[in-house]
Amino acid sequence: MRKAVFYTLCVAALLLSGCAKKSVEIVAPGGEANAKPTTEVSEGEGIKTIGETEEQMSEEARLKKMKMIESEAKKIYFDFDKYNIRADQVPNVDYDAKLFNLEDAKEFKIKVEGNCDEWGSDEYNYALGLKRAKSVKEALAARGVDPNRMSIISYGESNPVCTEHTKECWAKNRRVEFELMP
Amino acid sequence: MKRVLLLLLSWAWLIASDLTLEIVKEVGAKPAVVIEDATLSVDGRIDRKLFKLLVGDLEVSAHFNVDHTKNLANFSDAVDYLKYKEKDFLIRYRLYYDDLGKLNLEANAYNIKSGIKLFNKNYRISDNDRFAFLAHHLIYDFNKAVGYDDVSFLKSFVIFSKYTAPKRADIVISDYTLTYQKTVVHGGLNLFPKWADKQHRTFYYTQIKDKPTLYLVDIYKGTRQKILSSEGMLVCSDVSQDGTKLLLTMAPNMQPDIYLYDRFTRNLQRITRYPGIDVNGNFVENGQKVVFVSDRLGYPTIFAKRIGSRAVQRVVYHGRNNSACSTFGDYVVYSSRETDNAFGRNTFNLYLVSTTSDYIRRLTANGVNIFPRFAPDGETILYIKEYGRQSGLGLIRLKYNKSYLYPLSIGKIQSIDW
Repeated sequence: MRKAVFYTLCVAALLLSGCAKKSVEIVAPGGEANAKPTTEVSEGEGIKTIGETEEQMSEEARLKKMKMIESEAKKIYFDFDKYNIRADQVPNVDYDAKLFNLEDAKEFKIKVEGNCDEWGSDEYNYALGLKRAKSVKEALAARGVDPNRMSIISYGESNPVCTEHTKECWAKNRRVEFELMP
Repeated sequence: MKRVLLLLLSWAWLIASDLTLEIVKEVGAKPAVVIEDATLSVDGRIDRKLFKLLVGDLEVSAHFNVDHTKNLANFSDAVDYLKYKEKDFLIRYRLYYDDLGKLNLEANAYNIKSGIKLFNKNYRISDNDRFAFLAHHLIYDFNKAVGYDDVSFLKSFVIFSKYTAPKRADIVISDYTLTYQKTVVHGGLNLFPKWADKQHRTFYYTQIKDKPTLYLVDIYKGTRQKILSSEGMLVCSDVSQDGTKLLLTMAPNMQPDIYLYDRFTRNLQRITRYPGIDVNGNFVENGQKVVFVSDRLGYPTIFAKRIGSRAVQRVVYHGRNNSACSTFGDYVVYSSRETDNAFGRNTFNLYLVSTTSDYIRRLTANGVNIFPRFAPDGETILYIKEYGRQSGLGLIRLKYNKSYLYPLSIGKIQSIDW
């Protein structure tokens, strides 16, 4: 039995040593040329996704919210050649103050824009628009809107919402309106 | 007796030189001028326009009785004195392109009565778009040759801002007839251009973006320099004679007031302190005093204040709404709203007053006449005439009580300077 095991092991050892000899590869200089041609398949490699990051997507939602609040604001109308707030416009100022004091609105800055009708195109008209904007800013501040959130500007007669030559049209142009800014 | 005569003569001289008095010269006393066209090889459209400009320039100079007939002639032919025996002067011109393709205007001017040729001049431009200035130069020289007052306003650049869309206005340079127009600032809301130097090479203007900003532009270099910015409002209303000081309307505390700004020291001095509206400052009395518009009476009218003094003096006692003014020497021209109609059309007329006399002279009769500006000669006023959404340039020759209108085909003029 022991002899049988011994002979079997000897034969196996011989067989193994014979196999090792056969698997030796001799690579001659320039032997690479004999390698199979390989085509790198690069289609689809390195494609990146372009789009808004989550941060950007939240910024867009913020701007959308800002524009929505802006569109809800009421315009304040003025009498011919005047910059004091009319009694009938006070509820609109109250409404705007509440709107701008909402938690959702508090993160935005407010540009208070003064406008005039077409009568006159001189410096006085631009100053009149400015005084209208100032009146509204002060009225909003008195209702709790942080003055540091508000800036004012006059567009004089350059920004009409109505261009017909009617009394209704001129009255629509004598106004203060708001632009919210991030 | 001598003293009485001297007194009468000085009174007559004072009256004659006071532009607030309306003095209409006799039409018959003006010399008659006729024009001959000897153009052969230039586009008829340009030739027709040029003839019209020559007639217009002669009319606006107000020194002549102008014959509007276009007479044809050969440039080198002798003058037919018999044909024009009723006339005093003849201008014979021809337009032609030179070898370099540039448009030329050659002109001879004759005194018909004396038979003397006053001059032969040739004018050339490199760019056909500016052909109006050929006519303006010729008529300026003709007035000079005949010995009349300086009419250099004919060849001055006018600068204006015109609205093109909501919150958009361009700045344009033109001749006084608006025949030539070139946009020099476009994009955004660009307002209140004001020449910065006598040569009309640079101008100030306000751009309204987030904050109104005053810029200085060099039209030949195409460069722009930021001067100042202010919250709310910022306008350059006047520039001192030497160009070193500016009168600004600013509202750094949301309150429109007049400020004096020194270009070199950059020192900013607040001139007015009133919680209402103070705008449109203009230098008078050699820059020692400022005339401005204020609503301190509850409506806008014209006041004056010596720089450095607290006292404010009322200048105009007429009208209930005088919202724009311009000055030259002791003269103040202002726009006054004659009607107080919130629901219909209003009339704005121009008036001339002097700080040294009590006379008031009305310069326009109807319509909307605003934004008056004196020419550098002090005898001619340019203003904006509005009709509907259109507007044009109006021109008044104070000495001759004549006015002219040049409509702007597209857009509405916001403000002007020349």
